[in-house]
Amino acid sequence: MKPLLSLKKISIHYKKNTPIFKKKEYFEALKSITLDIFPGETLGIIGRNGAGKSTLLRVISGIIKPNSGKIINDGASISLLSLQAGFDDNLCGRDNTVLTGMMHGFRRKEIEEQLEKIIHYSELEEFFHEPVRTYSAGMRARLAFSISTIFSPDILLIDEVLAVGDSRFRKKAELTMIQKIRSQQTIIMVTHSQQQILRLCDRAILIENGISIADGLPEKIIHLYNELAD
Amino acid sequence: MLEYARDNFPENPNSFLHSAELAKHQGNKENLELYLSIAQKHFPELLETWLKSAEYSMHYHDYISAELFNNKARKIATKNLVAPFIQYAEIAMLKKDWELALSRWEIVRKSFPKHPSGYNQAAKAAKALGKNSFAIELKLSQEYGPNLLSKPLVKEKTLSYAHTNGTLFSFFPLIWLKATLNLKSEVQRNFLSYGWWVLEPLLHMGVYYLVFGFLLNRGGENFSIFLLTGLIPWIWFNKSINSCSTSILEAQNTILQTSLPTLIFPLICILQNTLKQGPVLLLLLGFISLQGFGPNIYWWSLIPIFIVQLNITIFFSCLVAAVIPFIRDFTYIVGSGLTFLMFLSGIFYDYKTISTDWHGLFFLNPIAFLLKCYREVLVESSSPDLLSLSYWGFSFIIANIILAFIYQQLRHIYPRIILE
Repeated sequence: MKPLLSLKKISIHYKKNTPIFKKKEYFEALKSITLDIFPGETLGIIGRNGAGKSTLLRVISGIIKPNSGKIINDGASISLLSLQAGFDDNLCGRDNTVLTGMMHGFRRKEIEEQLEKIIHYSELEEFFHEPVRTYSAGMRARLAFSISTIFSPDILLIDEVLAVGDSRFRKKAELTMIQKIRSQQTIIMVTHSQQQILRLCDRAILIENGISIADGLPEKIIHLYNELAD
Repeated sequence: MLEYARDNFPENPNSFLHSAELAKHQGNKENLELYLSIAQKHFPELLETWLKSAEYSMHYHDYISAELFNNKARKIATKNLVAPFIQYAEIAMLKKDWELALSRWEIVRKSFPKHPSGYNQAAKAAKALGKNSFAIELKLSQEYGPNLLSKPLVKEKTLSYAHTNGTLFSFFPLIWLKATLNLKSEVQRNFLSYGWWVLEPLLHMGVYYLVFGFLLNRGGENFSIFLLTGLIPWIWFNKSINSCSTSILEAQNTILQTSLPTLIFPLICILQNTLKQGPVLLLLLGFISLQGFGPNIYWWSLIPIFIVQLNITIFFSCLVAAVIPFIRDFTYIVGSGLTFLMFLSGIFYDYKTISTDWHGLFFLNPIAFLLKCYREVLVESSSPDLLSLSYWGFSFIIANIILAFIYQQLRHIYPRIILE
């Protein structure tokens, strides 16, 4: 099968924050990562904090260009979801929804047609028309996730998104993801939850210190990850 | 004891079935078959007989007999009994005929949707076949219900991507919406909301009037109109630059999440400030009319003046916004630079009071030139220097095109700079 997106020996280094006149120091976030992403698969990325998982998502989404290596993408659209969506606290849920959608590349009319669906999904009811500053953390997360349900890019990147709200909403969110997975949506997810990788992914990779050290079936990768953690 | 039971209670099947079980444990296949055949002969209507028979056949890998016995068990079983169907599928599992096993587990799922083995065991079969995704689905549908498996597999493609290969113009709806929503947000924050947009330049004017017109006694005739025609365009310019300076840094969440062109963030700030200054400018025109200075034919030239100022504002605001993420200390220089420029632009004094030798140098400052144009139209009711105006306009349009190109080149640099 032809991959939807290929990373070939991707390396990324960031400049460390050093005073102007000192010699520059670099921090290597990713080292020579090679990865093929195939259509319809659900790939889980696991690794410790600071291993380079989020950087990898940013490279895949095309937000950050690698220092070396090549990304081959034949026009697949990619969206990155994360719950740190910059909502404007003074605006209501509706305005923030339209704005977030447009920032992700949708036309205003298209989002407005989906508003009813989003209100219903988010279970925010009349709060949807109140300023976001009146929301609880859980309500914010619910709104952010609900907006993302209308996204259907060729590749969907998920950064710890499924840890939203109470357990009932989390289940609903997971079910939505499962339906996306079943509809052959290509998904790449970064998560700390081993259970989620085991339950949802059909392939996983383990990242340690910016290197992809294993690629294969989720059971094997999780096992390796736990061995490494011990 | 079992022998005693067999002899005394020949009508009770349990004694034979238990004997068979014991024989199995003892490894005595002969006895096992003997007791089973008795049970099969005397108790053919008993489900247990056939289930056990099939089970022992499975134990000895005799799958043909196992299938036969299981078939009998399924025939006599009442509909709400799951055991014979589980056995039916397990025989296929033992035969390692995974496709067959999958189809038999499907029968279990259909008749007994709440029974876990229809999902768990089927997932094992799917895994053995290499159908990992199906295995995951099976496990999940145990939790979420069998409906999960019957949902259509079609990928919804409801929304299109407006940004794909978009030019800067395709982002205009987003720039417009964000700018207007920012204004709405600003209004919600402040008690006096819209009133501030007008009050603020009036307060500025009050201070300058007090200092220059009253304390220093520098104001001439119509000093308030003179001050306002300088102050209002200046405030627009000054505020745009100030608010744009950190626009890229403030948009870091968005920049790290979407691949929007960086240029749109300062442009949003500029549009926001321009929309805010619009009503103030209209009020200024109204005020001037009330004082008996127009409107007249020259007011039409306000349109090109306004366009030139917009271009100048875009250039300096976007330039400052572009530099600050690289050199954050530059923010302090911008503040001092603006104060410096304010004193050099002739906001509260007339350029005519400066020696003509210095005029050439003075008007190298485009803001000083713009203020002169505004005053020529609004205070002196005359035509501005349209040739110089078009020269400035043209230069800044080219400069903006170059700047947009630089932004395009730096597009992938900003997310890194923000992270570093």
